[in-house]
Order: sequence, then C-alpha cells, then structure tokens
Amino acid sequence: MTARHGSINLIADKCTSCMLCVRECPVWCISLAAHAETEAPAAPGGRARTVNVLDDFSIDYGLCMFCGICIDVCPFDALEWNVADDLVEVTRAATVHDRERLA
Amino acid sequence: MTLRVWSGGGRRYAVDEMALACCAVELAVDLPDFDETDLDIDAHVLVVAGTVSRAALPTVLARYEALPEPRYVIAFGACATSGGPYWDSYAVIPGIGESLPVDVFVPGCPPRPHLLTTALESLVGDRDVVGSDS
Repeated sequence: MTARHGSINLIADKCTSCMLCVRECPVWCISLAAHAETEAPAAPGGRARTVNVLDDFSIDYGLCMFCGICIDVCPFDALEWNVADDLVEVTRAATVHDRERLA
Repeated sequence: MTLRVWSGGGRRYAVDEMALACCAVELAVDLPDFDETDLDIDAHVLVVAGTVSRAALPTVLARYEALPEPRYVIAFGACATSGGPYWDSYAVIPGIGESLPVDVFVPGCPPRPHLLTTALESLVGDRDVVGSDS
C-alpha cells in the first residue's frame, strides 16, 4: 500500500533557509542550520549580495505529525510530499532524517 | 488486557496491546482480535500505542513485566516514540524508549495501520520471537 502523505522530501536547491517551516511546525520537529555568504556583484559596479547557504536540515519523524504545514508555508516549494512511508526504525536516533535522507 | 494475533512467515504470533490513545484504533484496524482457539499462545510482544502519561507509566511497565521472556516492545506512533505533540508536557513521558527497551519505532500521528505489519515483520526478521507454527 502506498500513501500520498507518506513522508516529506526536501529540495535543498530551492531552500533559502528562511526558517518558516521550522517556526510553523506545531511539534518543532524540523531543525535547520545555515550560514550567510557574500556573493560578488553580478556586474561591475554592482552591489555585493548576502545569501543564506543551507548547512543542515533534518526532520524528526519520531515527532512529526505529518500535518503538512511545513509544506504549505514554504514560499519556495522546497518541501513536498513523498509517497514512501517506510519510516519504521529500530533506534530512536534513526527516526531523525537528515538532509541526505530527505532528498 | 487485549491480545491480538499476527500471522507472518507461516507462523502465528500473539501481540499484547497497551492501548492508551487514538493510535490504538489504527492498531485494531491492522490486527484481528484474539480468537478463542488461539489462546494457547503467549504474547512476547508489547505494542505501546498512544500517549504515555506519567500516571499511566506504572501500568505500562507492569504490562511489560507480565510478559514472559524474551519480550519485545514496539513504540507505535509519535506519542509512544517521542511524546509526540505533548513532548514538552510535564504530565507526559517523552517517548516510552526512556523507560522500556524499545525494539521498533513506528513514526506517524497516527501511523498507517499497515506500518504495524511492517514493524512486526522487522521484529520477527531481526529477533527470535516466540511464535506458534499452527
């Protein structure tokens, strides 16, 4: 049996580390780490830009209620539902999925 | 005490259920009730389904102690795994794993019923769970 709302995928390239998902999560199951980098001006005489670079992103499926609020609030569609729901784990630590497992 | 039967790999296993909250409904969907003719099997698996409050913890521990060895624990759902939405409540145990040796964690709020089958398959695959051949 597959389910539409089985798990959550992170599309890291779209994530701007804005923290909206982290703050809106009712059970605080998302953790996110990022740092700021300065990008050189695109054209001569332009202004340097500061961008956020995502370092780490994890969802604790042991806490997650699969409500989808994080997916709803993401302004950049960096989170999406995945049909895979094989989240049964033998240790508590393994229920926390890091960036690689969410990809 | 509610006992349920799970059949897998040509064997039957009795499963004891600690029904504490809404997760128990999902559990009941997946496994049929214990049948009169099945009463010869002992349960070696305890499924904790629902929010474990501090007040309910002694009951859960007693239920675990009552199982014959070797015994196994499945934490079914977010509350049993981590306390779920109540993880920061003074009245709730943030996961049964801090009080019992949990063998399988089943995430979800609630988990889909078939994930209990997945958890039992994983348990039986990893451990030598006592079951009946009939």
